[in-house]
Formats: sequence, C-alpha cells, structure tokens
Amino acid sequence: MASLLRKVELFYDVLSPYSWLCFEVLCRYQKIWKINLHLRPTYIAGIMKSSGNKPPALLPLKGKYMLMDLEYLREFYQVPIQVPKDFFSVILEKGSITAMRFLTAINMENPEMLEKASRELWMRVWSRNEDITEPQSILAAAKKAGLSEEQAKGLLEKCSTDKVKNSLKETTDVAFNYGAFGLPTVVVHVDNKSHMLFGSDRMELLAHLLGEQWMGPVPSTVTSKL
Amino acid sequence: MASLLRKVELFYDVLSPYSWLCFEVLCRYQKIWKINLHLRPTYIAGIMKSSGNKPPALLPLKGKYMLMDLEYLREFYQVPIQVPKDFFSVILEKGSITAMRFLTAINMENPEMLEKASRELWMRVWSRAAKKAGLSEEQAKGLLEKCSTDKVKNSLKETTDVAFNYGAFGLPTVVVHVDNKSHMLFGSDRMELLAHLLESWKSSGKTKSKVTDNGPGCSG
Repeated sequence: MASLLRKVELFYDVLSPYSWLCFEVLCRYQKIWKINLHLRPTYIAGIMKSSGNKPPALLPLKGKYMLMDLEYLREFYQVPIQVPKDFFSVILEKGSITAMRFLTAINMENPEMLEKASRELWMRVWSRNEDITEPQSILAAAKKAGLSEEQAKGLLEKCSTDKVKNSLKETTDVAFNYGAFGLPTVVVHVDNKSHMLFGSDRMELLAHLLGEQWMGPVPSTVTSKL
Repeated sequence: MASLLRKVELFYDVLSPYSWLCFEVLCRYQKIWKINLHLRPTYIAGIMKSSGNKPPALLPLKGKYMLMDLEYLREFYQVPIQVPKDFFSVILEKGSITAMRFLTAINMENPEMLEKASRELWMRVWSRAAKKAGLSEEQAKGLLEKCSTDKVKNSLKETTDVAFNYGAFGLPTVVVHVDNKSHMLFGSDRMELLAHLLESWKSSGKTKSKVTDNGPGCSG
C-alpha cells in the first residue's frame, strides 16, 4: 500500500543559519502536514565546490544584509539565532566537516537522535557562538541531545572511517545532482515528481505544492519551546 | 499631524523578474495595509557595479534554478512570467537603461502613469502577453526624448545611489519607514516578513492597522 505521506528531504549543514530556520519550520510542520521528513546531513563546502558558488557573506554588502536579515528572522521564525559581528570570518575559516560527519554517523547508527543532535550543534555555533570543530565541542552537543558519553565517543571515532566519510560525500553528491548550489535545499516528492526548492524562504511555496495550509513559520497548533 | 500611512519604497528594474513579483504584491497590498507605496525606478546594472555583486544567472546552476523557481512563482503569485530558455543571455546583453530612464521620465512628468507603464514594460520583457502601453503616442514620444536629457539621466543615477546607500546589492529592494527608522528588505520573498513587521510596528495613531498576510495571490 502506497504511503499517504509525501517524502520531503532536507539537505542541510549546521554552518548554514538559513538551514536552521528551514529545519525548525519543517520539524514543526511534519506533525501538521502529511509529510515524511528525511533529514540529510550535507557538506556545504562540497556543494559550493561542485557548483562553483561562493558563500554569500563573501560579498561585504550581502554579509551586512544577512546580519540584519537574521535579526528580523530570529524574531519572526522564533529561532534563537545570535550573530556576533565578526562571525562570518570565523565561520568561513573553521568549517563544518567534523560536525557534519558526526551527524552522518548519528544518522547511520542512531537516526532517532538526529533531529536533537542537529539542533544542539546549531545552538552551539549559531546561538551561543561556541566551537563545533573540537572533539570536546561535539561531545558536549551530543550529551545535550541525550546521547550517553559512551555512545557519543563511539560515534566520534566512526567519523574518521571511510564508511562515514563516503556517506557524507554521497549525500552531498545527491543534493548536487538535484541541482543544489547552496543550502538549505529541500526536495519534495509528490505525484511521482520531485521538486527542488532552495532557501528557508520557500516554505509557503512548499505548502502550496503539497496542497497544505501555511500558517507562518510558527504554526499555533505546535508549541515550539526553544 | 503625522501621516498614519507608513512610507514603503520599492527600488526596482524591469530587467529583474523578482522585482515584478515584489511590485505586484505591493500594488495589491497597498490598499490593504496602511502604506504609502513609492515606486522608485532604479538601474540594476548600477547596483551591481556599486556593490560588486553579479547577476545570479551568471552561475549556471542558479540560472537553471531561477527558470524553475519562476515557473512555480508564476502560478503561486499569479503573475504571467514566461521565461524563454535562452532569456538570460538576451537579458544580460540588452540591458535596461532606456526602459528605466523612460520610467524615470514618467515618474517626473506623469507619476500617476508609473505603475501601469512599469507593468507594461515587464509584460514586454518577461511575458508573451504584452498589451498596449496606455500612453498616447505623443506622450510616449515626448518622454522618450526626455530620456537623453541630463535631468532624467541624473535622476535615475540618484535613485540608484539612494538604493545603494540603503545597502542594496540587488533588486528588488524594499525600504519601509516607520518611527523615524528605515528597514531594508531584499527580494520578493520577504513580503510575509514585511507584513509581520508592519503589524508589530503599528502606528500610534487612532486607526488600528490590521495587517494580515493572505499570501501573494490576494486580490485587492
């Protein structure tokens, strides 16, 4: 029997603040819309490399605009993004390879923890301006998400295996093959077709394509306490 | 007595399809929201030059995405955008200086015609459903002549500089003025946020400004 739930894939990287906004909206709506949300940890630097694109913040006026935009969207989306003024240089230098490999490992071993672990990594890097590259940082996020220290350490070790490295690379290639040039990229499968949408600002259009109702980024039927 | 209408400026170029979407949404909502919509013909190539930005379509995957995106948005926004597949190269070669000087001249001489004239130019550039301009031939010729005057050229340049000074790196750029502050928003996909901001910045006047977002396809 065919599932009545439409498959919606979210390709995201915790380095991307707009991915966080998109993630929270989809998590809120997965209980409301008839969708099956598949979280896909993806490596944004890989997407940039494949597509020839560059992080928007590299253009000074775009970087400046993003600071303002994220401040408005923090309140509008009710997601606790706090952007320090020098943040973009930090972001662009440090990267996200370990964090995304960690989430890839979680997706393989403890997929039920993926949502919480992703959120905790975003909270570190995009809410509290904390590191996400050192092992201790990753373990701290994992613990907050509810993983035991043993589980977390085991997953961290797996990050350096070919199995996990290749899995992240494959997911990144899948996103690229859908036409992604940045993240967040959402792919919705409906009526035997797939539709790729880019950005956290295509959620109302997504609702429209699904034939579902859009009630803003904070639907009142879901109390989202962040 | 302070006006209860909040001033909303739209900096746009008819070369920009997303400017058209933004324009139509704001035209529909100007009667519903308590706003004073100021249309500001702007030269997008000038914005690109000042900001160091490039048209997104120059990146092949972005260009490809925009074709798809505009197809969805045509239906969702109910704006008759039809994008021929080779359009971006045509757009990037031909440019919009004459069209935007023409709209600048209209804004100076016949501002009440600016909305319609802008729409007709978008229809010509971005839709196969072009209709008559609505200006008399005499009016149109007169305005076309004015396009090569310094007055009109400088006016377009000034508006473009104003947009840039607000921080614009592309179009459409919307600037909303409320409580002696100005807020810049970029893109046709910040209209729901605009509604939200207008609602949260209700004027202190007696009239309660009830701003609801009924989606971009609202008729009004």
